Amino acid sequence: MQIIGPDSLVFGVDDVPACHEFLTAYGLAPQDYSPEKGGHFVSLDGTGLEIRRRDDPSLPPALKTGNMLRMQVLGVVDQAALDAVAAELGKDRQVLRLADGSLRTQDDQGFELSFRVTTRRQLDLPAEKVNAPGDLGRKPNQLGVWQDMPTDPRTLSHVVLFVPDIEPAVAFYRDRLGFRITDTFIGTGPFLRPQANPDHHTHFFIRTPPYMQGCEHLAFHMGGPTELMLAGSKMIKAGFESFWGPGRHKFGSNWFWYFKSPLGCNVEFDADMDTHDDDWIPRETPMGAEAAQAFLFQHRDKWAPSGGPKPGQ
Amino acid sequence: MTVLCRLDDLPDGGARGFEVPGLDCKVIVVRKGERVHGWRDFCPHYKGGTPMAWKRDAYLNGARTHIACHAHGAWFDIETGACVQGPCLGRRLIRVPLTIDAAGAVCMRPREERT
Ligand code: FES
Ligand SMILES: [Fe+2]
Repeated sequence: MQIIGPDSLVFGVDDVPACHEFLTAYGLAPQDYSPEKGGHFVSLDGTGLEIRRRDDPSLPPALKTGNMLRMQVLGVVDQAALDAVAAELGKDRQVLRLADGSLRTQDDQGFELSFRVTTRRQLDLPAEKVNAPGDLGRKPNQLGVWQDMPTDPRTLSHVVLFVPDIEPAVAFYRDRLGFRITDTFIGTGPFLRPQANPDHHTHFFIRTPPYMQGCEHLAFHMGGPTELMLAGSKMIKAGFESFWGPGRHKFGSNWFWYFKSPLGCNVEFDADMDTHDDDWIPRETPMGAEAAQAFLFQHRDKWAPSGGPKPGQ
Repeated sequence: MTVLCRLDDLPDGGARGFEVPGLDCKVIVVRKGERVHGWRDFCPHYKGGTPMAWKRDAYLNGARTHIACHAHGAWFDIETGACVQGPCLGRRLIRVPLTIDAAGAVCMRPREERT
């Protein structure tokens, strides 16, 4: 199955203007937005979030848990890939073909799914470059950081779900949709990668009781760790609240910084994630603080050593 | 007695968080009319507790009917602290007993200050 990953995540929220405030500060661009109806919030390649009022009649039904995630829109490479998804899922469930060409169905947990030929744009942007002895990534006179350098999220990276019935959930994504398991936190759940995307994960599942079903967090890729640090620092300075980070995960190697949000889930910046192919041999380890990150820091206000003894004192 | 603020400083139906010397989390104060409710800014979802606002003082859900943890959307009853929806069902917030003195100052009771 030539699935690329989430093109869009749809939320039905109880405070649309708060989401606008948060998501624009996070760096997404509002499109067709109004405080009454909500709108889209897009990253540089056009992937992003759709934010609507909880009671918007155009939305698919809400989860019973109160979680605000209403639908995942998964992008596939072309029409043949879309037809393949329709043929496979049509074997045991209703798959609607909508007027815009997209498919609409549900996974085995009742999460709403939409599939479409991806609308993401190919990005032609340099990654953050690093200078090291023996390997200079930047040209002479090219700067590594400046205070107001752009920190726009580049693409929707991954979504993490609280999943009550995890074995059938994993089986659905792996056996029906062809996702690869890259790594697993034993007792928690697997990281999943669709076949048309080399990223370590576009999905991660966390085993939970039924009353928690929903979105745990979502993340966008940044251009590199400096962009991530700068973007997160701007959020803190503006009064937004960190949940976890900055740090660097072990599985996936991605830098992370999570912020709480009015979407009722954490919203993460990530950068520099590993990519894999089918030669990769999945790892397994019990979840815990040691396994979850290589290192973890906490933001502090800017400070500099100053005010010490003056020369001649 | 630690004075957190004046009742008049709090918008009716709104919430604010206060740093208190000696406490390892903020104290959330929610005003309802002439009454105030105090809770530790500790979501009980994970061991040790985590702070709940998505922005400074943004503790309430959109309809302002509940205290919400904005990490995963747990909702808590403002008057009882009990979780009514989300990851903390069956758990509750830790109450911070408050009084309003004759001059209208919102104070923490001494017993809480020692913890
Ligand atoms: S940390 Fe509060 S709901 Fe998860
Ligand atoms: Fe993540």
